[in-house]
Amino acid sequence: MHKFMLLITTVLEKILMLTMAAIVITVTWQVFSRFIIQSPSSFTEELARFLLIWIGILGAAYAYKTKAHLGLDLFVSSLAPVRKKKALILIEFLVMIFAGGVMVYGGTLLVAMNVELKQTSAALGLNMGLIYSAIPLSGTLIVLFCLDNITQLLKSTTELENTVEGES
Amino acid sequence: MDFTAIILLVSFFVLLFLNVPISICIGLATLLSLVMHMDFTPASMTIAQQMAGGIDSFALLAIPFFILSGLIMGQGGIAKRLIECAMALIGSLPGGLALVNVMSCMLFGAISGSAVAATSAIGSFMVPEMKKHGYSAEFGAAVTAAAATTGMLIPPSNILIIYAIASGGVSIAALFIAGYVPGILVGLALMMVCSLYAIHHKYPVTARLPIKVALEKVLAAFPSLLLVFIVIGGIIGGIFTATEAGAVAVLYALALSVGIYKEISVKELPTLFLKACETTAIVMLIIGASSAMSWLLSYTHIPQIISEFFLTLSDNPLVVLLLINLILIVVGAFIDMTPAVLIFTPIFLPVAEQFGMSPIQFGIMIVLNLSIGLVSPPVGSVLFVSCAVAKTSIHKIIKPMIPLYIVMFIVLMLVTYVPAISEALPRLFGFIE
Repeated sequence: MHKFMLLITTVLEKILMLTMAAIVITVTWQVFSRFIIQSPSSFTEELARFLLIWIGILGAAYAYKTKAHLGLDLFVSSLAPVRKKKALILIEFLVMIFAGGVMVYGGTLLVAMNVELKQTSAALGLNMGLIYSAIPLSGTLIVLFCLDNITQLLKSTTELENTVEGES
Repeated sequence: MDFTAIILLVSFFVLLFLNVPISICIGLATLLSLVMHMDFTPASMTIAQQMAGGIDSFALLAIPFFILSGLIMGQGGIAKRLIECAMALIGSLPGGLALVNVMSCMLFGAISGSAVAATSAIGSFMVPEMKKHGYSAEFGAAVTAAAATTGMLIPPSNILIIYAIASGGVSIAALFIAGYVPGILVGLALMMVCSLYAIHHKYPVTARLPIKVALEKVLAAFPSLLLVFIVIGGIIGGIFTATEAGAVAVLYALALSVGIYKEISVKELPTLFLKACETTAIVMLIIGASSAMSWLLSYTHIPQIISEFFLTLSDNPLVVLLLINLILIVVGAFIDMTPAVLIFTPIFLPVAEQFGMSPIQFGIMIVLNLSIGLVSPPVGSVLFVSCAVAKTSIHKIIKPMIPLYIVMFIVLMLVTYVPAISEALPRLFGFIE
């Protein structure tokens, strides 16, 4: 499972880098087309917005993996190792409720509704379900990262003690 | 209805103190409150929809661009040139190195939008330099952290973009230009403290550079500072939007660092792109979740309830505005700036407007207020980065921070009670009638 998640992370990294490059190129093209060739591009604004949704939502899964999300680490880090481990597992479960309940379940229904109603975007004519599919995809990844974190936490207490020492 | 507010508040703080990521705290608390009003299925769908909808904005696109350009400038030798320029200008005054630190942070803030980027870029060079000349590492770290927050007000500023969206459409250009005077005022106030501190501790004064060398240093920083005119000039002149300016800033920073200064190789770019994605995603998830929360807030009329509560407390604007500031200072000590602006703007802006404050002035006030939180324990992110850069600890840095907190608070009070500080420049440029 852990190796599989590392592979997924690598793929996710590549996708995010390319999306970022694409977003820079898209808006640059918008400026260029307006000032240099005097024919404002009609699709760039919408495309850039959709790419931002993908960076924001899919990147959230990556930031969860790298533990980069902001939190308030006042009490948990000062707990004794065994309690800390329990608290960390509890956090993973709470995150899974959100990622599973809202992002996967609610997100999938949202995608399905948009596909069914054939909601398309104004300039590009893309189905909005396609754009929103970032939500269930990212939710699934976050749930997988949580499960991976939990198994890693359960597997070794020594590792945990090491990190406690490292932080203090 | 009050019951929803209580559930929202209690669940949010319980989750927050459990160290659940703040975006998830907001999302889960919203979910919990929403299932009091409707079934789980429409509740989860609504939140998912609001998350995507909240991010779906062309104005927000400026944020990844300014994050990326900040990362590039932090590594690309631009910070170094800004420091040398500040050194040539004010290095020989009393407390010169501390003043150079403040000015470099302000200059860095003027070309990028991130206080954390400024802290690591400027602090990692200036703190060792200050230590070498007899300053304590703690003082160096304190000055860097406080000075880096001026970048929140001095445009381009990501947080002012976020405020523009949270406030429901204040012009980004107006906010950007409104940030200059308060930002520079904070910088000058910090410089004053630094000079007095240096005179009191009899720190050595650096010799003045020969005029020719000084001129060369200033000229060397010129290409970096030119970015200010392109980006801010472009936005204020209405030539392009903040988002387009952001893209231009990325290209310009790339051209300088990769092409001219040659301090970043093309091979390093993917890592910088990924880092920018990560930071962007953190902000975007908070924005998405907050957008669901503010939908819930307006659905349950919580802002009106709070507004009415404030109006029953006092009808004296001086008292109410002071109260709002004190609440925000406490909030800022625990919650990072982005979620704090997103959560509290819809709640407090209507109250402030009742007392005749303009949305522009309120925006500057809330950002300056929460800047104090960025450099306060227990969570101040800038303070932590600064301590890490200076290799010192949080409890040692508090003592030298105290005079800096005091002057920041004084400027906050000036900004709160003197509208002209925030509004004179936007008025001059025709953003306010």
